[in-house]
Amino acid sequence: MAAIASPNLVRFKRIANGLVTTAITLLGLVALTFFIGRVIPIDPVLSIVGEKATQEAYDKVFYELGLDEPVWEQFTSYTLKLLQGDFGTSFTTTRPVLTDLLSFFPATLELATLGLVLGVVLGIPAGVASAYWHDKWPDHLIRIIGLIGYSVPIFWLGLVGLYVFYYKLSWVAGPGQLDVFYVGVVKPITNSILIDSLLRGEWEVFWNAVSHIILPVCLIGYFSMAYLSRMTRSLMLDQLTQEYVLTARLKGASELEVVLGHALRNAAIPLVTIIALSYGGLLEGSVLIETVFGWPGIGNYIASSLFRGDINAVLGGTFLVGAIFILLNQLSDVLYATLDPRTREASK
Amino acid sequence: MKLTRTLTAALLSMTMLTGITYAATPANTLVIADALDDIITLDPGEVGEVGGIMAAKQIYQTLIAPDVKDPTKIYGVLAESWTVSEDGKTFTFKMNPAAKFASGNPVTAHDAEYSLRRVVKMASRSAFLLTQLGLSAENVEERVKATDDATLVFEIGEPYAESFVLYALSSHSGGIVDSKLVMENEVDGDMGNAWLKQANSAGSGPYVLGTWTPKQSIMLNRNENFWLEAPAMERIFFQHVPESAAQRLLLEKGDIDIANKLGADDHASIAGNADVKTLDGSSGVIYYFGLNVRNEALAQPDFVKAMKYLVDYEGIEQTIGQGTIKTHQTFVPEGFLGAIDHNPYSLDIEKAKELIASSGVQTPVKLDAVVWNTPPYTDFAQAAQATMAQAGVELNLLVVDGQQWLERYRSADLDIWVGLWGPDYPDPHSNAKAFAVNSEDTPDGSTSLADRFGWDAGDISPRTMAALRENDNEKRRQMYEEIQLEHTDISPFLYMFQEVRRVAVRANVENLELGLTLSDDRYWKATKN
Repeated sequence: MAAIASPNLVRFKRIANGLVTTAITLLGLVALTFFIGRVIPIDPVLSIVGEKATQEAYDKVFYELGLDEPVWEQFTSYTLKLLQGDFGTSFTTTRPVLTDLLSFFPATLELATLGLVLGVVLGIPAGVASAYWHDKWPDHLIRIIGLIGYSVPIFWLGLVGLYVFYYKLSWVAGPGQLDVFYVGVVKPITNSILIDSLLRGEWEVFWNAVSHIILPVCLIGYFSMAYLSRMTRSLMLDQLTQEYVLTARLKGASELEVVLGHALRNAAIPLVTIIALSYGGLLEGSVLIETVFGWPGIGNYIASSLFRGDINAVLGGTFLVGAIFILLNQLSDVLYATLDPRTREASK
Repeated sequence: MKLTRTLTAALLSMTMLTGITYAATPANTLVIADALDDIITLDPGEVGEVGGIMAAKQIYQTLIAPDVKDPTKIYGVLAESWTVSEDGKTFTFKMNPAAKFASGNPVTAHDAEYSLRRVVKMASRSAFLLTQLGLSAENVEERVKATDDATLVFEIGEPYAESFVLYALSSHSGGIVDSKLVMENEVDGDMGNAWLKQANSAGSGPYVLGTWTPKQSIMLNRNENFWLEAPAMERIFFQHVPESAAQRLLLEKGDIDIANKLGADDHASIAGNADVKTLDGSSGVIYYFGLNVRNEALAQPDFVKAMKYLVDYEGIEQTIGQGTIKTHQTFVPEGFLGAIDHNPYSLDIEKAKELIASSGVQTPVKLDAVVWNTPPYTDFAQAAQATMAQAGVELNLLVVDGQQWLERYRSADLDIWVGLWGPDYPDPHSNAKAFAVNSEDTPDGSTSLADRFGWDAGDISPRTMAALRENDNEKRRQMYEEIQLEHTDISPFLYMFQEVRRVAVRANVENLELGLTLSDDRYWKATKN
C-alpha cells in the first residue's frame, strides 16, 4: 500500500522531520545551557544581595530563587515555564527576561542586518573579482583588505573608528543609539529606533539614529565583508576550474555569462548556508562592538548579565541566540533544496 | 557621469548628516557617563550598588545629612532638629513642617516611621545599616515610632556614639518614602517594592525618576514640588558607557558633561584640554590584601608582618596609580574621624626575609591569590607578585571575574584576596566593624571581614565596640587611633592604598558637589554656563 509515496506525503514527512529535529535540538540547547549555568562557579544570590549583606538577607533570596530544590526539579520547572514562554525574571533589570530580550533584540537586529547587507553587497562581488583575477593585483588588494578585517580585533577597530570619524572628523555621532535629547521622544512600536522613528514621522530622530548607527554598521559590515569575500573567493575558484566552465567558454559564452551565469550560480548554493550562519554569528558576535559603542543590544545584555551572575537572563539570551542559529540552519536547508533540485531529490 | 552624480549625492548627504550629528548637551540637562549595568533596583529600601545609590540619592532625602565640606557637621534635612536622651538610647526627631514629597503630600513623622520600619521588615541586603543599631523585624514597631505627625522617636539597642547613629540614618537606607503613595501601590504585601524598584519614585528630593532603562540609562526630572531651592538642571541623564576611552571621547567632544569612570591613562591624556577639567573629591575606598589565617603560613604573625614589607607601595602609587591612589595603611580612611597618618611599611626584602626566618615558615612558599580581572586589582597583584617572589613567597594569581571573586571571598575559600572596602557612611565604625570586630561582638551577629579571613581580633574587637559607644568625640578619636596602631601591625590585613576620587567634567560645569562616599555625589547644585 505504502510502497509508492505521494509527493505531498513526502513533503509532509520532511517538514515533520525538520520540526522534530528542531524541537530536539532546542531541548538539548536548553539542557546544556541550564546545566552549564548550574556548574559554573557563580552564586546568583551573592549578585543580588551584595558582599555586605547579612546571612539572613542571603538566605531569604536563596529560597526565593528556589535554589534549595534539587537541580532536576529546577530544570523541569524551568523547561515547563519555557514552554509557556516564561523565561523567568532577570534580577538585574527586574523585568521578565522575555520582555528584556524583546526590547534589546531589535537594536542588535538593526546592527547585524544592516552589517550583513553591507557585507553581502561588498563581499560577494569582491570575492568573485578576487577569484576571477586570481593572483593578479585585484586579488591581492582584496585579500589584504579582507585580511585586515579578519585579523584585527574588532573592538580596536571600533575605538580607532570612533577616534577618527567621530572625534577628529565629526562625520558621525558617538557611542549610544541616540543623542540624549532624542531619548524617549519616539514611543516604541517595534522597539527598533530606525523603524519606529520612520513610522512616527520623526525625521530628526531618524537621522540622528542613522548618524549613530552608521559607524558600527560599517565596522560589522567590514568584518562580514572580509569573511564573505574570502569564502566566495574559494568557492568561485573551485567552480572556475570545473570542466563545465571550460565547456561553456568553448561554446562561446561571454566571460560575464561564464562567471555570473554559471560559476556564481553554482557557488551560490553553499554560499547561502554561509551567509545564513554568518548572520547568526553577527547577531551573537557583536558583543565587543556593542560594548565599545554603548549599544543597547542583546550581546551587551548577555555579557553584562553574565558578569553579574544573572542566570535567567544569560539562559534566556543564550536560548534565543541558539534558537536563531537553529532556525537559520533549517532555513538555509530549505533554501538549499529550493536552489538545488538535486538535494531535493536526494532527500526523498 | 552617472557614477559621479551618485557619488556627489552620497557625499552631500554625508555632509548633511554631520551637520545634524554634532551637538553639545542640552543647556537644561546634565549628562553623566557611568557604568550602570550593576543597578538592580532604585528602591531606597534595598538599593546597594554604587550606581543605584547615586541615582537614589538624588530622589530621596534622609532625616539628616553630613556636610560634604566638614563631615563632622551633621545638619537636619527632613528633620528640623533632634534630641538624644541622657542614656543615649532614644533619639527624638522633630520633622520639618515645610518638607513635602514630589506628590505634594507633606513629609510627616509617620512617613519616616514607615520608611525605616520598611527597610528592617523587608530584610533587604542593605538592612544591615539599620539592624546594626539593634533593630529587628520583631522589635522595630516598638523602637521606631511616630508619636504625632511632627515627632519620630527612634530607640537603639544600646548607647552608641551619637554621630554614628546619625551617620547610619543618613545613609541610603535612611531615605524616606511617601508612605501614602507607596502603600497605594502595594502588591501582595511587598510594601511597594515592585512598584518602586524601577519605574516609579516616591521621594521628597530634588529629582523624580523619569525613566530607567536597565543597562542603558536613567533619566531624572526636576521635582517641580521641591520644597528647598530648586535645582538649576531640569534633567539629569545617566548614560551607560562602561568604556573609559569612549567616555573620554564623549567628554572631549562635548556629548557628555561628566565622565565618572575615567581610568588613570585617560585622565592623563585630557590634562592639556582646556574644555575639560578634573575635580578631586574624597573617597573612602581602601585597597587591601586579605590574608586568610586558616592557611598554615599565614597563621604565623611574623610571616604576615613579612608580607607587609614585600609590597612596593611607593612604586605602585607612582607607576600604576598616577594620582588615583595614595599609600594608606590603616583601616580608617583619611577624612574620617580617627584617621591617622601612619604608614609604617615600605618595601624591605631583607627585613621580610628575617621575619620569615623567625616565623619558621620554609620558603619557597606558594599562596593562591584571588584577583578580580579588572584594573587596578590585576596591576596591584602582579606588582606584589614580583616583589614577594624575591623573598621566596610565590603568589599564584587566580584572575577571575567579579562574581567568582566575591564568591571565593564569601566562602573564605582562598589564601589571599585582593580587594577593596568602601564605607557605607562616613563614620569610622563602617570600616572598624568590618576589619576589627568579630561577629560575637556585633549586635546583629553579621559576619565581618575579620571572621571571613579567620582572624580572632582578640581584645581589639570589644575595644572597637567600646569606641562605638563613646560619645565624647575627642576620646572616641583617641580610641580609634590606638586601635589602628595595633591593628595595622598584627591584623592579617595588608592595607595598601586609599583611592583618590577624580572626576572629569566639562569646563562649563560648576558647583558640582562630590560626595563623601563613592556614591554620594550631589548633582542638584550643579549648573552649566
